[in-house]
Amino acid sequence: MPEYLVKENALADFFQVLAKGHRLLAPQGQGDNCQLAVVSGPVSLNYANTHLSPKTVFFPQTEKILAFHKLADKPHYNVYQDLGDHAEPTVIFGIRPCDARGLSVSNKVFQNDRFTDPYWKGKYDQTVKIGLACLDPSPQCFCAAMGGSPFGELGLDVLAYPKAKGLGLKTLTKVGEELIKAAKAEPTDLANELKDLEKKAIAAQGPLDDYQTINKRQIMELYKADHWPNTAEPCLGCGVCTFFCPTCHCFDIQDEANEIGGLRMRNWDTCMSPLFTLHGSGHNPRPSKTERVRQRFMHKLKYIPIKQDGIRGCTGCGRCVVMCPANIDIRSVAALMAQASA
Amino acid sequence: MGNLETITQKIRDKAKNLLSSGQAEVVIGYRQGTIPLVAAPFFARKAEDCDKLVWSSFARLNLANYLPSRKGKVALVAKGCDARSAVGQVTENQFPRENLYILGVPCSGLVDPALVAAKEPRPIREAKETDDAITISGQDFSLDIKKEEVLRRNCRTCSHRTPTLSDELTGPEVPSLQPDDFSDIKDLLAKTPAERLVYFKDLIKDCLRCYACRNACPLCYCPICFVDETRPQWLGKSNDPMDTLTFHLLRGLHCAGRCTACGACETACPVNIKVREFNRVLDRSVQENWSYEPGLAWEQKPPLTVYQPNDPAEFIK
Amino acid sequence: MSEFEPKVVAFFCNWCTYGAADLAGVSRLEYPPNFRVVRLPCTGRLNPKFILEAFKRGADGVWISGCHPGDCHYIAGNYHARRKFILLHALLETIGVDPNRLRFSWISSAEANKFQAMAKDVVESVRACGPNLTFRKDDLQLGLAEVA
Repeated sequence: MPEYLVKENALADFFQVLAKGHRLLAPQGQGDNCQLAVVSGPVSLNYANTHLSPKTVFFPQTEKILAFHKLADKPHYNVYQDLGDHAEPTVIFGIRPCDARGLSVSNKVFQNDRFTDPYWKGKYDQTVKIGLACLDPSPQCFCAAMGGSPFGELGLDVLAYPKAKGLGLKTLTKVGEELIKAAKAEPTDLANELKDLEKKAIAAQGPLDDYQTINKRQIMELYKADHWPNTAEPCLGCGVCTFFCPTCHCFDIQDEANEIGGLRMRNWDTCMSPLFTLHGSGHNPRPSKTERVRQRFMHKLKYIPIKQDGIRGCTGCGRCVVMCPANIDIRSVAALMAQASA
Repeated sequence: MGNLETITQKIRDKAKNLLSSGQAEVVIGYRQGTIPLVAAPFFARKAEDCDKLVWSSFARLNLANYLPSRKGKVALVAKGCDARSAVGQVTENQFPRENLYILGVPCSGLVDPALVAAKEPRPIREAKETDDAITISGQDFSLDIKKEEVLRRNCRTCSHRTPTLSDELTGPEVPSLQPDDFSDIKDLLAKTPAERLVYFKDLIKDCLRCYACRNACPLCYCPICFVDETRPQWLGKSNDPMDTLTFHLLRGLHCAGRCTACGACETACPVNIKVREFNRVLDRSVQENWSYEPGLAWEQKPPLTVYQPNDPAEFIK
Repeated sequence: MSEFEPKVVAFFCNWCTYGAADLAGVSRLEYPPNFRVVRLPCTGRLNPKFILEAFKRGADGVWISGCHPGDCHYIAGNYHARRKFILLHALLETIGVDPNRLRFSWISSAEANKFQAMAKDVVESVRACGPNLTFRKDDLQLGLAEVA
């Protein structure tokens, strides 16, 4: 039986065991302040989702890669010093299934048969991911329409869900199983309850049709559709959607130096900025908002599914829906993509 | 019929009129948002689009932002602050007056969703409004909130609620509030310099440098922003706090004397930074030194493009 | 603190203060060597970002000096600059940068003595402020400190 129960009065001990020998990250704070952070107080089970997606743990906005300096008295004078992957053994509690799915999409970008990104790999492979299922999805949630589920398991080691008097757990991997056993959770049978709750939570979300239609359409048909200029017109060109997206993974490597040395770092980049595609020659293959906005939606809903066996680049977390200052709602754009003719 | 419905109807009727008579090729207004407490920018080009136009106290973006470098005749739905921004665009030669029709909306202040969330943290599935209250509801709850309790900070100090210059008003004038006395930054100015530096560094600590504040701002129309310049590169691309502070200081300086306090920057900010704090400090200086308010006249020149031989500057030795 | 020698970045107008510095030099007027001069065609050329950049890169003080009002080689460059200075001065003071770190002055090319006195005064008031630790970009140093 891979299911376990932690009673309410045993929760504090449970979290203490999780933190043993690891860094334990869990959602702290409420509303827009809810973030994954090192646990210092009681762990909240009652939050819609973290403000930023958990990709920040594995792929921070700025990551220092190497340093160099020009001072002759330093041991690494004139030699590049690798700053490592900044990884440490970590347990994250409370990743929502949509975000776990997002992490697994990014994981295929950073670790596949062609490339391995050491900075991502170190952190990803040393982290045990405990998900928290959504009993009551928020109005902006549409994970089921994106092929996920409020009880989705992809990318997780353990799936937890709040029960009236405690926490239900379903272990999904060997690492997860060991961790939960060590935390002395009681084995129990929750399979039927899980199924019922999942059905209820999915029913609370919107329809699925548009995305299936998009799947059937050819790339060029979607690409050449005439709605793109109108879709992009209200876009402000800020990077909010990409920064908050759990699957956006584009970065830019920059060097900064002063008279004594310098640093190489990689920073989040955003395809919403004209600078993202600007060539050294001055040519820009995506010169206007229209091309940039189209790229983002095509990437999420068409290109990634093709590359990743049907797994979509959007996981339905709804962050961009809420955050976009111009209210460009990916659900409406998907509907347009499904309807529009080339 | 409440005032909001009357204004909405007026906007729709007028928009159809303007489009069919050729006075405008596009009407830039607001539509109902796809999530509660939001009205989104909407571009109406055909008569049937016009019925999607709405007026609501959730219309927080400044649509004058869409004017620069736009071709053709435009009708702009504009509240007091937005109309002043549009006038500013004209005076700064960013949009020709003859192509602009300002459909002015007398505005009694817009709702700040963060203040609503502070009153009701549970997920809101629907929001309805009357002239002076909103009703929010979600699973198992419904709550009436008076609008004046959840108005945005800039709306509470707004001294030009009715557009000062417009081609037509869509409703009765709204009485203006007291002239802005900058009382909201009084506490800040009373702090010691060291405390203020800590305050400002703390203010922007969550900044992601997404530049939504810049992009939502009708004043920020430079083809290449200083943050995007690469030769020289003025700002690093990391989330270094000093780079971030420099961005906010320079953004503030570039807007000095031009800002109409529309609050679009704070609306757009995804991490709820009070970015207008920088503008407030500067606007106060502008008012003290030159008693200037932007967007009140078509021929007005922004204060940094002109000078007086006797400008006060005792600090210059 | 006695070890501390302030670094001041100075932006001088080519037509006046830069000439005053020259005149002070040929007149054998001694002044402290703590500032590095950037020559501008006019104070009107001064973009506020130059000043912020100087602080960000670790300058302890910034000194801007141009032509007296009415004396601009380009008629009104310094008048426009003055309006920018007024706002920049207010902004930096409000966010908590010590006003003694930032100096604006008008010095004509004939005023070698004023230049000398001002140079001493600028350096001494910056010295009194101490090193600029709060308004500089130190991430680079922190990052380098990670290197063994």
